Amino acid sequence: MVVICTIFLINLRPCCTQTPVVEELTYPLSSHTALWNWSHQVSSDDPPLYPHLQWFNPHPHLVTMMMASMVANGNRDGQALVLTGVDPETCMIVFKNHWAQVVKILEKHDPLRTTNHLVSGLGSIGLSGSHVRFGGPVPGDEASAVQNYVEHMLFLLMEEDAGQAGAMGPILEFVVMENVMERLFLWSLRRQFTDDMKLEQLKMYEMIVGQARQPLLHHKPVLRPLMMLLSSCSGTPTPRVEAELVLLLNQLCCVLAKDPSVLELFFHTSEDQGATNFLIFSLLIPFIHREGQVGQQARDALLLIMSLSAENQRVAQHIAENTYFCPVLATGLSGLYSSLPTKLEVSSEEWHCLHREDWLQMPALVQFLNSLEFCNAVIQVAHPSIRDQLVNYIYNGFLVPVLAPALHKLTLEEVMTTTAYLDLFLRSVSEPALLQTFLTFILLHRHENVHILDTLVSRVNTPFQLGTVSLALFRTLIGLYCEDVMLQLILRYLVPCNHMMLSQRRVVKERDCYSVSAAKILALTPSCCSPEHSPPPLRQLDSILWSKGNESSPHTGPMETEESCLEDGSGHSCIIGSEIYLDVSYLHYLYDARLGISSCIRACRVWSAPYDGEDPPPDEYQASALEEAGASRGRRAQMVNPKGAHPHPRPRPPCQTAGPAPMNQLELEWDDSYDAGPPANAETTAAERPAQPLAPEPPKHIQALRRTATMLVKGSYIEESDFQDDVMVYNLVAKKDVRDTLDGRRSSQETESKGSETESQLNDNGHGFADSSREVQEVPLSNGLSLPLQRATVEVGSDTERSKEVKENIADHNSKVQSPTATDIGDELVAQYEELIRTLGGGEVGAGTEGREPFQNPIVTPTEEDEMDFGSFSVDTPEVDKHAPSLFGTKLRSGSARSQPLPFTGPFVSVLLSRLENMLENSVHVNLLVTGILAQLAAYPQPLLRSFLLNTNMVFQPSVRSLYQVLASLKNQIEQLASTRKDFPELITSAQHCLLARESSLIGHDTKRGESRDCFPREAERMMKSSPPQLKTISMARTEVFATVLFTEFLKELAAIAQEHSILSHIPMEE
Amino acid sequence: MNLNPFWSMSTNTGRKRSDSEEQSVQQIAEQQQRASPSRPSFGKKQLPTIPKNTAPITKPASPATTTQSINGTHASYGPFYLEYSLLAEFTLVIKQKLPGIYVQPSYKSALMWFGVIFIRHGLYQDGVFKFTVYIPDNYPDGECPRVVFDIPVFHPLVDPVSGELDVRRAFTKWRRNHNHIWQVLMYARTVFYKINTMEPLNPEAAVLYDKDVQLFKSKVVESVKLCNSHLFDQPKIDDPYAISFSPWNPAVHDEAKERMFTHKRRPEDHHKGLQVSGLSWVKPGSTQPFSKDENSQQS
Repeated sequence: MVVICTIFLINLRPCCTQTPVVEELTYPLSSHTALWNWSHQVSSDDPPLYPHLQWFNPHPHLVTMMMASMVANGNRDGQALVLTGVDPETCMIVFKNHWAQVVKILEKHDPLRTTNHLVSGLGSIGLSGSHVRFGGPVPGDEASAVQNYVEHMLFLLMEEDAGQAGAMGPILEFVVMENVMERLFLWSLRRQFTDDMKLEQLKMYEMIVGQARQPLLHHKPVLRPLMMLLSSCSGTPTPRVEAELVLLLNQLCCVLAKDPSVLELFFHTSEDQGATNFLIFSLLIPFIHREGQVGQQARDALLLIMSLSAENQRVAQHIAENTYFCPVLATGLSGLYSSLPTKLEVSSEEWHCLHREDWLQMPALVQFLNSLEFCNAVIQVAHPSIRDQLVNYIYNGFLVPVLAPALHKLTLEEVMTTTAYLDLFLRSVSEPALLQTFLTFILLHRHENVHILDTLVSRVNTPFQLGTVSLALFRTLIGLYCEDVMLQLILRYLVPCNHMMLSQRRVVKERDCYSVSAAKILALTPSCCSPEHSPPPLRQLDSILWSKGNESSPHTGPMETEESCLEDGSGHSCIIGSEIYLDVSYLHYLYDARLGISSCIRACRVWSAPYDGEDPPPDEYQASALEEAGASRGRRAQMVNPKGAHPHPRPRPPCQTAGPAPMNQLELEWDDSYDAGPPANAETTAAERPAQPLAPEPPKHIQALRRTATMLVKGSYIEESDFQDDVMVYNLVAKKDVRDTLDGRRSSQETESKGSETESQLNDNGHGFADSSREVQEVPLSNGLSLPLQRATVEVGSDTERSKEVKENIADHNSKVQSPTATDIGDELVAQYEELIRTLGGGEVGAGTEGREPFQNPIVTPTEEDEMDFGSFSVDTPEVDKHAPSLFGTKLRSGSARSQPLPFTGPFVSVLLSRLENMLENSVHVNLLVTGILAQLAAYPQPLLRSFLLNTNMVFQPSVRSLYQVLASLKNQIEQLASTRKDFPELITSAQHCLLARESSLIGHDTKRGESRDCFPREAERMMKSSPPQLKTISMARTEVFATVLFTEFLKELAAIAQEHSILSHIPMEE
Repeated sequence: MNLNPFWSMSTNTGRKRSDSEEQSVQQIAEQQQRASPSRPSFGKKQLPTIPKNTAPITKPASPATTTQSINGTHASYGPFYLEYSLLAEFTLVIKQKLPGIYVQPSYKSALMWFGVIFIRHGLYQDGVFKFTVYIPDNYPDGECPRVVFDIPVFHPLVDPVSGELDVRRAFTKWRRNHNHIWQVLMYARTVFYKINTMEPLNPEAAVLYDKDVQLFKSKVVESVKLCNSHLFDQPKIDDPYAISFSPWNPAVHDEAKERMFTHKRRPEDHHKGLQVSGLSWVKPGSTQPFSKDENSQQS
């Protein structure tokens, strides 16, 4: 015995010390046979009392030494022990010998004396985990003796190699035959099954599972007790046991991942116990959301099973049908979400989204993101059935019940915080199926009958950080290159092509070969910012020699040209040409535009349609869009159905009850256009009032928001009763923000709103005469005057051709109207319209009444006149055709009574343009966001979007405001501003200094955080990342100066995008 | 091959090539296959490379500049417009896939394009004519581009001394939006298949064609031979992107040919971890979000 123990002591050293091992090994071999005999003797069926055990017991110190060795070199530190050179037979002998010792102790304390009985009765014992004790307590020395023997035995088992052709090694065979593991487990059960015992057992399996050289788990006698052990741990284990349990489970999963054939056995074993549960898996579930290492190990283990499920239908089915995995995961998200701060500590006014360095400071958020990331990973690897289930639970268990209400909390701060979280979640999720869930929620879910998307859009117009954070959210959404998002946000409004004159449909796909649009956009550069007038010291200007090329040698043959080229190679001196200063920063914009557009084009290859004005077909879509709108968009539904069949106009944030609301309410322009239904609406609604005397009470969150907003605008002239819906509130708050500077403008805006409303009415009547004759009479024509005048401020003089066309159209239309009931009205209306246009064409008659300066022509220079020749790009279409359009759609001409939807490009575009329009009042970071989003949109290759944003020659319907119009009006404002301030050029220069310093400070910053997903390769975007201190100290008076600089840069950015589109969007795609 | 490093048109020209049937052992070998990234900043009319954080260079505006930009700021962007107009023209040429015609803008100026035309049948069969296209710098508002053959081909419409093709007769007035450079190239090709002797630049050829076709034919054969014998000459104009021919060299050309025929797709260059693949759950033909069938989503 002593000799054997010596072998052990030596061999338990790590392999690095194996040289002495080999030498000493020869020594004990002499006693080999004797030992074997001895052990054989012991394991024979002798009577249960073994007096010589007493003889053995006095040597625990040896065992302790071995133990110490085990622990010192144990598997925990990853150092495998190697029994190099030890003859397997010896090992076998030692193993059997030890087992014999163990069995003796075991049987001594076994009241039944027969193992068989025990085994059969075990199931209940093992599973219940109760403390079953037979006879008296086991003496401590015997227990530890068993413990030590077992450790050695397991070590031998672990170190045994598989036999020939994958057969079991002799020790393993013995273990299986003798049912060693199960008996050992029963033994530990029989004693007090304490945590220590569990730990012991768990560690035991951990060791052999993790390090065995032959597959052990294939054998039921090994697997069964393991399963029993695991199920005995399934209660509410203490942290120590938990850690050990999860570690073992993790190891088991690793084995499973390597050898999926074991999987079946896990199931079968479970079945033997009368349960079909996949125990390993069920045990892991409670740890899904755990913090720290235990949680991480559990999640890793689960992921391994998830990827198994992708291959194994049975596992997938089990997880999906018999476990609570998905619900636990999803509701866990809800739980973690509830522990997030409801209000964020906002570091600065500029802050608009949660960056990595922000959320790393928030442990709760980190934990949430961990779990979200886990969901993402599960969805990525798991079987589709699990994926679908999880995604469903996330939708119905987290997004709808938790996030939706959170997005409608009572205070601006809470709502802002939720919006920032949503933005962060969208940026954290990468798996399409999970993204789809989030996007479905945003695009289609209705909270208190309002689409989440509509709510979010309406918030863009709020001042404070809610507006900015909402903008950042949309930046994220647009950056996804997701067709569904773009469809709901913008494209659905563009597809019917109602926003443009009918004649313009063929222009949609046209290519701007000669950079005409870019030129027109750049021509809006305010004079104070043009490089010629005040060469900015900071803009990188380089002189570039621009050869006159052939012109310089007009009549030379090829030989001369060659000569000049050769000379050119030697130096530039020979070149006759003019020296032109180029704005080199423009090259950056071109470069960025190229990158942005090409990645967008690549991304959009998966889209279902090109959105080019033909596919999806505008006319078909019109119908389906309207039907859809009827289903989901309350107010527009009424436009489809002139009779106003909708008894309950659904409350929606952007329009809600605004229809019947008095006209003198404060409303932002976009709301009017979105909301403005045909007068029939108001009529119908009014008619229904008896039945429905009051507009439905707005949702609670809106009421609360009203209160907040009322407090915010306290002292202003607005009474609480004026609030009609949350949009009103938002707008109000927005007004408050600018009211100091905009008192004059406000009234004009109101007039404008009225104008556009009337205009809508005009339009609508023009479209569908069948609506009602009464309404037409109600149209306040005097008011209607303000409409074209408003338009005039933007367009008069700049585009006389356009108004001419409108006139033609009207005439054209007039001649075509045949409907007798409508003719009178129509004639009257058209006459009015023509009258207006005549006024319009005659000059800025009404402009003065608007309280604005006559709009200075920002575009036309005589030499450029022909560039304005719009719609004449293509070779094959004669130009004349394009100038003989019909203003109204085919449906009208065919006498259809159905009214056309009001030309409108959607709330998002409206709200974005509104914010852009206020550029001069916006802070730098808001302007960066707004222009950044517009540039993102402009990079999309879809001709409908591209032509709407960038084609400066497109002729839109009068009610449609284009980006170019807004830019033109901004230029005008800037010119006015510059003319009133003498120090403007200096201010501009210092603002340029400031912004450039900021940018260069950010470039360094930017490279450090390259992983940031939202880094868009644009200068402005880079500038947006954070801000050096000097910007914070800008006085409010200077925001308009910064806005001017940004405006100029934005023009360049847009022009560059337009130029790159003319190339990139027309390169035949390789496919 | 690239007009400019940051425009990187190489794949497109490459693709155009691959469309061609390689009927001759000759292979267009570019002197410079890859775009040199570090070019001199100032070519003849070269836009400078993009400076990275360069210190601003301020030069006093020359009087010429100020007078030019009276009408607004956009005068300084004129070169960009021209460059992009020509780039657009070039992509149009690519789109047209003109049979047997290959062009490539020069390295030094976007206003000069090198070309070669293969005549596959007719009187000029087997002719391989190199030419250069000169585009006026007030394009597209100036005269029509000129086409000059490297070697004056014996043809009624080709000047026997300068080699210039009479393009102007086909484009009496160059109209922007209506006339494009590919049309000029198309014309240059047609001329060899459908011979016109009206108002010739080469009266001898015209007369012979009308009076003695046999002699005309033999002259043409001679001329084709002459042209083909100079095929391997160095390009007349020294430019990295000039088209030059070299005899078939298996070591160089076999692999290139292989690549052309196997039409490999350009590997998607993932850009800075930006999500390049877009998303769509819209069923084709539908305009509803999340309308795809495999969408097992709640909606």
